[in-house]
Amino acid sequence: MKFLPILLLVVTQWATAQSYSDHARLSQRLKTLESSNSQSAKLTSLAKTAGGKDIWLLEIGSGDRSNRPAIAVLGGVEGSHLLGVELAVGFAEKLLASANTDSVKTLLANTTFYVLPNLSPDATEQYFAKVKYERSGNTTATDDDRDGRLNEDPFEDLNSDGQITWIRVEDQTGKWKVHPADPRIMVMANAEKGEQGKYNLVSEGNDNDKDNKFNEDGEGGVHFNKSLTFDPPYFTPGAGEHPVSEIENRAVLDYLYERFNVFAVVTFGPANNLSEPWKFDKSKNSGRIPGGVFENDAKQNKLASDIYKKAVTLKDAPTAGPQKGDVSQWAYFHYGRQSFSTPGWWAPKFEIPKDSASAKKYKANDDKNTDVDFIRWADKENVDVFMNWTKISHPDFPNMNAEIGGFKPFVKTNPPYSFVDKLATEHTKFLVTIASKRPQADLVNLKTESLDGGVTRITVTIQNKGLFPAVTEVAKNNNWIKLVKIALVTDQQIVGGKKITLLPNLEAGESKTISWLVKGKGKVTIEAGAPQTGFKTLNVSL
Amino acid sequence: MKRIAFILFILITTNALGQDVFRAAGSPENPKVPVSWNHYNTHAGITDICRKLAAAYPDLVQLSSMGKSFQGRDMWVMTITDFKKGKPEEKPALYIDGNIHSNEIQGTEFALYTAWYLLESYNSIAFIKELLGDKVFYIVPTINPDARDNFMKEPNTPHSPRSGMIQVDNDRDGQLNEDYMDDLDKDGHITNMIRKSSKGRYKKDPADPRRLIPVKADEAGEYEILGSEGIDNDGDGRVNEDGTGYYDPNRDWGWKWQPNYIQNGAYKYPFSLPENRNIRDFVMAHPNIAGAQSFHNSGGMILRGPGAEEDAATYNAEDSRIYDAIGKKGETLIPGYKYMVVYRDLYTVWGGELDWFYGSRGVYTFSNELFNSYQYFHKTRDDDDFASGESYDFDKDLLFGDAVVNWHEFDHPQFGKIEIGGVKKNFTRANPGFLLESDAHRNMAFCVYHAWSTPKLEITEMSEKSLGGGLTEITVTVNNTRMMPTHASQDLKYKIERPDYITITGPKVIAGMIVENRDLNLTNEQKNNPATIEVDNIPGMSAVTVRWIVTGAGKYGIKVDSRKGGVVVKQK
Repeated sequence: MKFLPILLLVVTQWATAQSYSDHARLSQRLKTLESSNSQSAKLTSLAKTAGGKDIWLLEIGSGDRSNRPAIAVLGGVEGSHLLGVELAVGFAEKLLASANTDSVKTLLANTTFYVLPNLSPDATEQYFAKVKYERSGNTTATDDDRDGRLNEDPFEDLNSDGQITWIRVEDQTGKWKVHPADPRIMVMANAEKGEQGKYNLVSEGNDNDKDNKFNEDGEGGVHFNKSLTFDPPYFTPGAGEHPVSEIENRAVLDYLYERFNVFAVVTFGPANNLSEPWKFDKSKNSGRIPGGVFENDAKQNKLASDIYKKAVTLKDAPTAGPQKGDVSQWAYFHYGRQSFSTPGWWAPKFEIPKDSASAKKYKANDDKNTDVDFIRWADKENVDVFMNWTKISHPDFPNMNAEIGGFKPFVKTNPPYSFVDKLATEHTKFLVTIASKRPQADLVNLKTESLDGGVTRITVTIQNKGLFPAVTEVAKNNNWIKLVKIALVTDQQIVGGKKITLLPNLEAGESKTISWLVKGKGKVTIEAGAPQTGFKTLNVSL
Repeated sequence: MKRIAFILFILITTNALGQDVFRAAGSPENPKVPVSWNHYNTHAGITDICRKLAAAYPDLVQLSSMGKSFQGRDMWVMTITDFKKGKPEEKPALYIDGNIHSNEIQGTEFALYTAWYLLESYNSIAFIKELLGDKVFYIVPTINPDARDNFMKEPNTPHSPRSGMIQVDNDRDGQLNEDYMDDLDKDGHITNMIRKSSKGRYKKDPADPRRLIPVKADEAGEYEILGSEGIDNDGDGRVNEDGTGYYDPNRDWGWKWQPNYIQNGAYKYPFSLPENRNIRDFVMAHPNIAGAQSFHNSGGMILRGPGAEEDAATYNAEDSRIYDAIGKKGETLIPGYKYMVVYRDLYTVWGGELDWFYGSRGVYTFSNELFNSYQYFHKTRDDDDFASGESYDFDKDLLFGDAVVNWHEFDHPQFGKIEIGGVKKNFTRANPGFLLESDAHRNMAFCVYHAWSTPKLEITEMSEKSLGGGLTEITVTVNNTRMMPTHASQDLKYKIERPDYITITGPKVIAGMIVENRDLNLTNEQKNNPATIEVDNIPGMSAVTVRWIVTGAGKYGIKVDSRKGGVVVKQK
């Protein structure tokens, strides 16, 4: 009964949230979680960004957290993806809200979650700013076009509506035209098909430095999801001068590299390998630098994907491969853990209604343009995603017909907030199921046989009870993943067998039998495991 | 009268200090800071030399700390230039560091020697005086001070620790550094353990029994080799498998970095080591660095990138020409040293320092592997391999046995009766004392050539032509009289450093342009901010021409402002 009021408080907290959370609100939600769950949640600020925002880490688990198999849950890897933040913190809230049900209680005693809800807090704040635009970069000053001048050509909110949209300008030398199915949607004219452009399309703002590029060097910064170490996109805007150059990247990596118990990283970000798992392709790993998932690891990815599709009801996910320098590939290729990533939401496929009356409203979307589908879905659901094209006078296009409009920022990857609760519930289910399949070292079939002369043969089998291996295939030679160790601790003399055995791996379900010969009587302890499998200890009296 | 007395005083003082010495060509015979170049220095010793130089030559050197090492030692950097001639940040610079691998100690002394030589020769050698007027040297004697002291003060082999001092679990058993090498005989050196064995395939060399040699296929052996001095401290059946470090500071840099399972020695991510972060910050804050040099050992190599075949395209033909010219000059200046490409002639290195300097910053960079077996008896070998045979002869006849520990018996807790002996940690890789100074001098001369080859900009033409109607056309030519361009081609490809600015002050500028071809009058107008023409590059041994159309002719000034080429101004 003691827990009930706390539970209610937590429920109220997220139930009353009506919109995405800015940094202050997120901080408050996390602090509330910690204070309501002092036994099983601990909040730490890993660092403060250049913009003065905390990189929050919420550790969840009621046992010896650093020695329990763990999942790292990362949100806000992409600064324009507010939903990622919401799913990460929403997971923490929903999990802890049911912390005293038997199943969750057991889970928390044996598993750890490291929730890092927002890795781009400088960038996400732009969603709440006076002028909203999709921002990925932190507040580090960067010369995005590398011309020696900083931030000389930012966006301008020309129509003072508090958001950055698009400008289209009628121009017979332009490369753009309207889509035949919906004149609101702009597409590139295809010269090979004899199409001719009629418009120029630029982002909302002026060409301040008169270089014919619009808004190519505005404020910020380095993108978290573009500046990690796997295949980094050198010298591109947002990549930083080298990978992991930023305070927050370093803080997160320093922290995670020292968390040897993490067996999986779940990222809420642009890449999706849960709707469609990464596939093994031998040719990608023919060189000395692996470029694709390993065969055995692909099986685990498939397993996780199956769990995901059961837990999360969204269908028809668009393909979303990894990007250069992103988190999902770092977590797999360099951190060496299972890496699962999902955007958490996408607009469902739009089908033109079958009955002819409603169908008449729509022209055929022959090239299956996703923007056309998206705006039709939004219209049907009454979701406000578009600003209709409106005349504007633009100093860079004097005497030309310029209009402002287009998709509003954030709408394509962040659904209306009313969608979020269900998404968080489903993703929590996914995370809890993955956690229940964690690698688990167990010691079974202990046998002691007395031989002549006071010598005892001790035999025991170590087994992985989980559905994930102790060591991923990609990490078999990676120093940052521990090996499963079996040690015999005794004051007696070991006359046969190794005091310490390190196993190269313990696959899902795999077992291995080990024996020792010990001379003498007394207590013997067998310790087995690794941080990512948990440890098991057996005491034997000889 | 007063003045004469003063001069007399100086003469007498000089005479008093230097009365017994006679200058050997090219060397300071009476230095303000006497340093003997036949021993090595701990971090405290380095600090002392740096401070003395800074105190003796306040107009030529400034000493500062780049930041602290992992264990809190200062990483000293000496900024050496003629501070009375221009601002240091407005002159092309050569960056020099040593000792990235903690056991590769002589790089520090070579860097210190370079600093000392430049300072002590400024007044006596006109070329050096001019060089310090034009250029800046940033000299960092050790960039791995923690483990340098560990190498000197704790038991080590010639090859250890190499790493820095952050602990790493190398055998992945959950324990950090739990099985070091053990100095069983307590002599401060980790040498080898051998044991008499019927299975052994070695014997003591009859010509020099301190040396173990393999027996022939049909010959009975006498000894087996048990490895470096040590015991199985943690009882896992392996000896010395998790010692000091281990990571490699030269696999920690931000260009084409790869993780430890691809590139052994990589730590967590590029610049995950504090010492390297300090250097990165320093280099980013000093964009005038046009060339860089790091000192390693050994083998007598002048190395350039790329470190990996997959990165071969980064080093394109134009830049390779510059590298080749400097590298081949080095082969001449340092006999026995070979100019080599890391991946092609040595081995693959991902995330090395020289690749970051070049790939990420567009700075021409060499790593010299100091000392080689050629210096023993001036014999050329195909395979340096620390020249085990020659090194024993050299030790016997020139060092009189000081560099080798003779075999002596030891009772080992796990191996029983063994013998311990072999080369000391200060031999085979580090220069023996009497060979330090000449090798340092030659490598210093190589650095001087590199520094001299950085861009030197001169405004060689300022001409005016009346266009009528009060308009004047002003044409300016800027020459680069040295080999290096202001922007390496890697720099141009990725716009690493901003363009060079050529600015006119005085008249009202109507238009500005780059003259692409003067004979055919091909020009390229710059519409935005025409008073400051931005040129992508001023190539080596070449020139650029710019032109303005102005009103109100008369006096005007030209300023050339190049990050790596320096700042030059001229009035007319």
